[in-house]
Amino acid sequence: MNELLTFIASHRAEMATRLGEHVVLVAASTAIAAAMGIPLGLIAARRPALARPIVAVANLAQTIPSLALFGFLIPLPYIGGIGTRTALVALTVYAVLPILRATITGLQGVPPAVVECAVAMGLTPRQVLRQVEWPLALPSIVSGLRVAVVIGVGTATIASAIGAGGLGDYIFRGLAMIDATVILAGALPAALLALAADAALAAAGQLADPRRRSRRPVAVLAVVAILAVMTAVSGRASAGRADLVVGSKNFTEQVVLGELLAQAIERRTGLTVERRLNLGGTAIAHEALLSGGIDVYVEYTGTSLTAIFKQPPSADSEQVFATVRDRYAAHGLTLLPRLGFNNTFAILVRGDDVRRLGMKSISEVATQATWKAGFGYEFLERPDGFKGLSAAYGLSFAQAPRVMDLNLIYRALAAGEIDVTAGDATSGLIGALGLAVLDDDRHYFPVYDAAPVARASVMLQYPAAAFAIRSLAGRVSAADMQQMNFAVDSEKQEPATVVRAFLDKIDGF
Amino acid sequence: MSPPAVQFAEVSASRGGRTVLRQVSLSVAAGQTVALVGRSGSGKTTLLRLVNRLLDPDSGDVLVDGLSTRAWNPVDLRRRTGYVIQDAGLFPHVTVAGNIATVPRLLEWPSARIEARVDELLTLVGLDPAVFRGRWPDQLSGGQRQRAGLARALAADPPLLLMDEPFGALDPITKGELHAEFQRVQRTLHRSVILVTHDMAEACLLADQIAVLHDGEVIACDTPANVVAANDVRVTSLFGELRLKPEATPRVNP
Repeated sequence: MNELLTFIASHRAEMATRLGEHVVLVAASTAIAAAMGIPLGLIAARRPALARPIVAVANLAQTIPSLALFGFLIPLPYIGGIGTRTALVALTVYAVLPILRATITGLQGVPPAVVECAVAMGLTPRQVLRQVEWPLALPSIVSGLRVAVVIGVGTATIASAIGAGGLGDYIFRGLAMIDATVILAGALPAALLALAADAALAAAGQLADPRRRSRRPVAVLAVVAILAVMTAVSGRASAGRADLVVGSKNFTEQVVLGELLAQAIERRTGLTVERRLNLGGTAIAHEALLSGGIDVYVEYTGTSLTAIFKQPPSADSEQVFATVRDRYAAHGLTLLPRLGFNNTFAILVRGDDVRRLGMKSISEVATQATWKAGFGYEFLERPDGFKGLSAAYGLSFAQAPRVMDLNLIYRALAAGEIDVTAGDATSGLIGALGLAVLDDDRHYFPVYDAAPVARASVMLQYPAAAFAIRSLAGRVSAADMQQMNFAVDSEKQEPATVVRAFLDKIDGF
Repeated sequence: MSPPAVQFAEVSASRGGRTVLRQVSLSVAAGQTVALVGRSGSGKTTLLRLVNRLLDPDSGDVLVDGLSTRAWNPVDLRRRTGYVIQDAGLFPHVTVAGNIATVPRLLEWPSARIEARVDELLTLVGLDPAVFRGRWPDQLSGGQRQRAGLARALAADPPLLLMDEPFGALDPITKGELHAEFQRVQRTLHRSVILVTHDMAEACLLADQIAVLHDGEVIACDTPANVVAANDVRVTSLFGELRLKPEATPRVNP
């Protein structure tokens, strides 16, 4: 708890920004969803024939897993891309159903005799709606809004994966660092925000209840207070746009490399840099670059070759670099010189097992028939991942490999849940958790040289930024990278601090 | 001579594809109370709902004050036609006073006049304004709800009142009280009233004329005394069925 308080105290300004982003995301998406869901509900309640298809579509949208929905939206024009807009679209999709349903339920719950009397007394259809159906359906609609808001606060944490910011940044960062304090710094405010928003709407619902007139002043105060906080917080969140946007994928090394690019540009130029770190994977980062959501991020040449350009993997560092550079150029992207380290896949086992079995290389894994394997989604899917590996080494496991989140995989291995996995050769956790890297004795894994890839137009617009990035060429060794990863993952240092210390050491910065 | 308050001229109507009224002709003179009696499904409620255009006839015409309901603006027609149903249909989110004030507010009466009218009506139907103005519908007994419903229907002083089993859900004692209340109100106001009821005794007590409906047709329309004296088995059976229901249950001898 003390650690959490210290963390919050030292990140006050940033947390206010993240909280503001979160509030804006949820408030805006719920408002849009209400503007769609309530009228749709009114139509559906009046025409039961329409109600079924409308609710079915909303139901279907609700069942799409949130990350999948984000991924699906990124390539779409106008509503897609990365950042706030896409997150708003996705959050709105999720918020519509509860509001729509509650509106239909509320209207259908109005006693028919009451509506009949209203009509028979000479109320026009508008008056029946405004004076009778609406007030009677309102408690149900408010409860639908409350459900939508609580779902929205939770789902908005995932919006961080597509660079929309919000409290999810801490959760993803914490997962990457395996640091519960950082996770809590995102999760706890999110939970409190959900409770506060729910309470505020409950208070607003009481305003609508004519039987509780006496509580009106209190409820008005509560709603005004919440609105004031939201406005203040969102005011802080909407800062001006920076000159360049640096991105990164969602693991520690990527965050460090993103920070490295950002600080290098900031140190050597007068440009302002916005950080959109923790994007949820290679495809998302690449689409973000193409759509202009980010301007530059560090990719690995082998990843570009196979995962982005769908080419067979290769172990020839120069040839891969040349191929990928040409391919990127065709998309209006510039591949900048390599940073200096090769983050190839490493097959990891527990250090204890290595010592006990005298194991050295991957080919010996085939002798361990009872071992359980677990891999990240990407490794299982990629042609240069598990399929090729098991073919090259003749591996077969008692059970099919478990699919696990990349961030949890080292922990799972150390805890004995799995016995072998694939990780990053530069991971700081390898040392921290007492894991060992097996030798790739059949030279299966291709090269994964880290190299910044940028939007060509932006590099032309800001040659100073291009020069700053180029001056990092060949300056980051595998040892440097492991050390920085270790400093963040195990020593719980801030990526920004670690990068600052690193840049202080090398010439020219 | 003024036209009848309501005149049904060879009216046929159907609900959900089923014909429920066949060539019904019936006249309600101004200031009179006409009771519609008959079994369930005989078409009483349908006939009532044609008057304020909750339904339209398939053929024939319903004339209110000599003008076809099709020619009336439905909103104007309804605002001058009071409507009372079983269990009153009060708006649950509005106080008793607010319920009664509904139509005067739609007619944009000045608020002082509305207040005065609400008190006047509550007194008329036997509810103490000081006690009942601010009550919510769910705080009322069945009889009190029915009285408030009657007050609401009378609010804008409509010349015509439609009542669909208004006393149907009440216990016998409360029902008796409300019958007396209705008679007292009617002696003061002399509205034209169409009253749908299951209860032949109620019809005989409250109505000037009784119209008996059978399978969508009016088979008798006369004063209570003459209807009681009728020889038509469809009418006399109705008496037994409606009034003597408990006794009519067949007994099984041991």
